[in-house]
Amino acid sequence: MTDTYITHATWAPGGHQIDLCLAPAAESLDTIVLIEGIPLPNIKKACPSGAMEIPEHAHVIDASGKLLMPALYDLHTHIEMPGRSKRECIIRAGEAAIRGGVWGMLVLPSPAFRFDNGASLDSFRETASVRSAAEMTPAGCISLGMQGLEQAPYNTLAATRGVHVLSDGDDFPADILMLYRAMQYAGELELVFAVRADVPALTKHTYVHPSATAYKLGLHPCPPCAEEIGTETLIRLAEATGAHLHLQLVSTAESVRIIRHAKERGVKVTAEVALQHLLFTHEKIGDYNTVFKTVPPLRDKADCEALLEGVKDGTIDCIVSAHTPCTPFSKKQDFITAPVGMTGLDTFLPALYTHLVEPGLLTWWDLVRACCLNPEGIACPRDQEEGVPSTAPLLLFDPQVSHVVTEESLVCGALNTPFLGQELHGAVTLPLR
Amino acid sequence: MKPRKDLITIESLSDEDIHTILDSAVAMKEIFTKSVKKVPALKGKSVLTLFYEPSTRTRSSFEVAAHRLSADVTTFTLSTSSVVKGESVHDTIDTLMSMKMDYIIVRHKNSGIPAVIARHCNASVINAGDGAHAHPSQAFLDAFTIREKYGEIAGRRVVIVGDILHSRVARSTSLILRRLGAQVAFMGPGSLVPPGEHTGVARLHTWEEVFTWAPDVIYLLRVQNERIESPFFPAADYHQTFGVTEERLRRIEAQGMSIMHPGPVNRGVELCDAAMEYEHCLVCNQVENGIAARMSILYHLTPGTLSHD
Repeated sequence: MTDTYITHATWAPGGHQIDLCLAPAAESLDTIVLIEGIPLPNIKKACPSGAMEIPEHAHVIDASGKLLMPALYDLHTHIEMPGRSKRECIIRAGEAAIRGGVWGMLVLPSPAFRFDNGASLDSFRETASVRSAAEMTPAGCISLGMQGLEQAPYNTLAATRGVHVLSDGDDFPADILMLYRAMQYAGELELVFAVRADVPALTKHTYVHPSATAYKLGLHPCPPCAEEIGTETLIRLAEATGAHLHLQLVSTAESVRIIRHAKERGVKVTAEVALQHLLFTHEKIGDYNTVFKTVPPLRDKADCEALLEGVKDGTIDCIVSAHTPCTPFSKKQDFITAPVGMTGLDTFLPALYTHLVEPGLLTWWDLVRACCLNPEGIACPRDQEEGVPSTAPLLLFDPQVSHVVTEESLVCGALNTPFLGQELHGAVTLPLR
Repeated sequence: MKPRKDLITIESLSDEDIHTILDSAVAMKEIFTKSVKKVPALKGKSVLTLFYEPSTRTRSSFEVAAHRLSADVTTFTLSTSSVVKGESVHDTIDTLMSMKMDYIIVRHKNSGIPAVIARHCNASVINAGDGAHAHPSQAFLDAFTIREKYGEIAGRRVVIVGDILHSRVARSTSLILRRLGAQVAFMGPGSLVPPGEHTGVARLHTWEEVFTWAPDVIYLLRVQNERIESPFFPAADYHQTFGVTEERLRRIEAQGMSIMHPGPVNRGVELCDAAMEYEHCLVCNQVENGIAARMSILYHLTPGTLSHD
């Protein structure tokens, strides 16, 4: 095992050229190299391009024209695919993540991966550590069986299984008293409550944003106020209990405003937006295209703009893939019957680059903040507090390469991506060694 | 009219298609006056009615229409079928397609189902109502009835009153009438009339506004309690606020307006009893014209061709 030298790479967040010497994967270094404040592990040396002394016969990667950056962390993934084995779900999601530049992900509980007890967490971690190419961190359940009624054993999950984040998938707990008490109790354990804001009574049997699309297709509209009331409610609970609230899948302009105010007055709240809610509006549903059936639904252009603004000013901490693989048959059904969600891992970094960075809507620094540093900080908070470096490996991104997303190019095992048949720019090299 | 496999929405039809189907409906209706009310146009063809929702008039209207064109009609009864065992629509259709049907007439509570079926099979699929999405054969019979009454649709004013939100009839009928040059307005409770910027149709708020606008036709929608889980309006208010009361009927009579309703009528809710007896109440004409319109639709579809929807 030898060191790996990377030369003439452009450091994406800063834009300048650097050379690096990476220690072999097996060799774990105690030192942390900071590049523009970003802590990175296993780097022996970093210096401006041309200043590195490279021994003869060393393993050198010439990264001319390529961008170097920390790999992405995805805070919102569902990896279950009904009918497939758990092992296959884990393998495919891991491979897809690496393709998309994602080194680690928070896996949300689902009916197959019910993380409400130690045994299911142990079995998941064991399989994931052997089978997954990417790091998988399970989020513990807020309630037993994700039923929203009875609390999961937080102490067991946190103390003995290292769970940092709690979530009931995308569901808002049925019993708000249960949630309030859970936040009182588990807030003291420094656990993060990842919840999607909603008022289930207002959104039951609704499918699309109130719009001309909803009228034309005869689909019941999902009022944005449901998410906004839910956002206010959750923020009040976080304020009252002192627990760290992480708002999942923020989708409306008004929600962004509410979160901004909460952050201004010091509430312990973080928030995420799914890439789909930054890029697409309800018009994409067209004639019942089930790929664009999401929860929350795709909204208006003004919402997309406000969400993007929220990412830029830090109101929204993270951009997530909201990766949700669905079987091709299930998405062929009618819009009401078809399941919600899109896949996003396979294409994550190229899609972020093609649709947000390349057109100048986000800078590389915005992207590194929202897709690498912040999500990792939320999923693994203790690591940062104790000064342990970020464990994100580095990746190389070649913006010159383009590829068309085809059925064959997708490894996640599902086809419900909005990018199928489209050209995306950029190719990911991960891992580097 | 170019060969077309399915009829799922009014939107998918060209102006020429709409006129062709309406014109043929006139010819179809003439058959009713003959002593033998049957023509051999679809002899040897098989028609399947697949109704996932209860229906009396639409289903029987399609069945009578198919019989009058000499087609063989099979009725798929859902309460005794595998659908109640949770079979997916795709699998049901595969089973039915192995019976080599030429036409499938489908009604379902989910918006968008007929299009899914149409993509999945070679038979001509006719949407007989899907959720709150579309009900094109109703649109044709309504347009036919108005044209029969007034000679021309262009320039006529039609107000559609009631539950627009849940109504596929409001969507399809307003669309065909606007395509044919009529002016359409919606009137109903705020919770049941989507905003004008979503519908593209102006909203009137009260009966006073309706009478001032002076429509030719007042089209009342049925209050669909079976579709509504939790109330959108106080039920006790409806007749007084949005229904045709006897007092309003007198004003309708005075202004010579017509009354239409897709049926079945909730007497005392949308319409007072007397309204059903009113000389310009076209409800029975709608039923009769429904058969002619559906004969015309069946006649103009071509199984096995490319879908236009």
